Amino acid sequence: MTELLASLAEPLHYAFFVRALAGIALVSVLCAIVGSWVVLRGLAYIGDAMSHAVLPGIVGAFLLKGNLLLGAMLAAVLTALGIGAVGRRSGLKQDSTVSIVFVGMFALGLVMLSKAPTYTSDLANFLIGNPLAVTPADLWSTLIVTVLVGGVLAFIQKELLLVSFDPTEARSVGLPVTRLNNLLLILVGLVVVLTVQLVGTTLSVSLLITAAAGARLRSRSLRGMMLGAALIGTGCGLLGLYLSYFLDTAAGPTIVLVNTLGFLLMLPFRRKEG
Amino acid sequence: MQTVTPPSSPITASVPGLPLVEVRGLTLRYGAQVALECGDLTLLAGQFSAVIGPNGAGKSTLLRALVGLSVPDAGQIIFAPELGKPVNAVAYVPQQQTLDWAFPVTVWDTAMMGRTARLGWGRWPGRSDRAKVADALEQAGVYELRDRHIGALSGGQRQRVLLARMLARDARILLLDEPLTGVDAATQLRIMALLRSQADAGRAVVMVTHDLEAAAAACDHLVLVNRRIIAQGAPEQVYTPHNVEATFSSSHLGHTHAHA
Repeated sequence: MTELLASLAEPLHYAFFVRALAGIALVSVLCAIVGSWVVLRGLAYIGDAMSHAVLPGIVGAFLLKGNLLLGAMLAAVLTALGIGAVGRRSGLKQDSTVSIVFVGMFALGLVMLSKAPTYTSDLANFLIGNPLAVTPADLWSTLIVTVLVGGVLAFIQKELLLVSFDPTEARSVGLPVTRLNNLLLILVGLVVVLTVQLVGTTLSVSLLITAAAGARLRSRSLRGMMLGAALIGTGCGLLGLYLSYFLDTAAGPTIVLVNTLGFLLMLPFRRKEG
Repeated sequence: MQTVTPPSSPITASVPGLPLVEVRGLTLRYGAQVALECGDLTLLAGQFSAVIGPNGAGKSTLLRALVGLSVPDAGQIIFAPELGKPVNAVAYVPQQQTLDWAFPVTVWDTAMMGRTARLGWGRWPGRSDRAKVADALEQAGVYELRDRHIGALSGGQRQRVLLARMLARDARILLLDEPLTGVDAATQLRIMALLRSQADAGRAVVMVTHDLEAAAAACDHLVLVNRRIIAQGAPEQVYTPHNVEATFSSSHLGHTHAHA
């Protein structure tokens, strides 16, 4: 027993490991709150698109030695506006416009990155992320975004609940349904930017969706779903980080894999009556 | 010297027979097709009305216009000034099957959604809201189920949860789309009794239904609709073979032709 505790405590001597733990825990809580809405509203594809579309922002900031988070946010906002503009001009359905914009942005990011001298290693970092590279500054900005997004969602919770469950009723009591939906998209963009830092663009939607979807299987209320998602996400995140340390595997993908396995293990325990 | 009339206050609106809503020359179209071209219609405080007609007759369209979900192509809907904001004056109960019953909310949460508009942005439900919701659930007979997930309810129980949410709105005008569909006979009677008591408390209650028989027995006012108002008035005046035929037969013919 003491041996186990000792080996668990071992990586905690490294500041970068502790920062990674803190980062994963914070982002898991944030993803639980936002991801629950994403799962309930069927917006997972937007989260996925968003995570790819922020690449040019991150790469641009990286090449210019600027703040990666700010660059990503700029790209997220441009993407959201771009999706809206293309949709209005083309009259196409949202899934098509989202795909067109997000692949275009992703390709732009890759082209920009190919001008970087250390192309291959950088590419790997952006695609699969690295929680062990989280800096104290990253942790602070993550904390600020968590408080901000959590505060906004708490402020509009009952309105968002009514819009999600019964949009007709929401319109009939005069709620600004479209604006609420747009606000939710912006929040999703913010959160995705944080997850990209940890697990990269290709895997980031996992943190947003998987834990919330797992909690959805058993939850009777929104609060229960968010709480469950936070527990699942944090638990799988910490477990994945430790596993990657002891197995010497890439941390981001290991965390995502544990999340996925956790979800599969929960599948048989779905509440039956719906 | 003139006789002094008491100033109008919200209480005057609860006097039975007082007009709460006036509908004049309302017309709604879907594209080129006229969905509803209705003459005049008045909703009175204390009146329990039923809107009856075949499928596609414009019944739901009428309700949606009253609740502000559809914008009329012509005509007017005028609310009595003492009602205040129309958003708080009108409560609407949609057809049950339009909702996602797998959504993770309990019976209590669902009824509490009825308080959203009254509460306003950024405010969480307080003691009076909880009391309102508890009372609404009691009246609808689902208080004991308050902690259940809505997906675990029967059709009749679901309808009563929607009624509880409507009651929690605290509105003067209650509009219900097919509240008797998909529920058992005992629940139908219960719903009718609840709506009657709401009308007796001074509200204007309007129910869309297929069930002409039940409506004629329980309501004060029938509105027979088929793209226009065929007849309206007290059941004993309106519920005649001639009116029923005028309301239902043309669409039946159209139906048979379409399949011939």
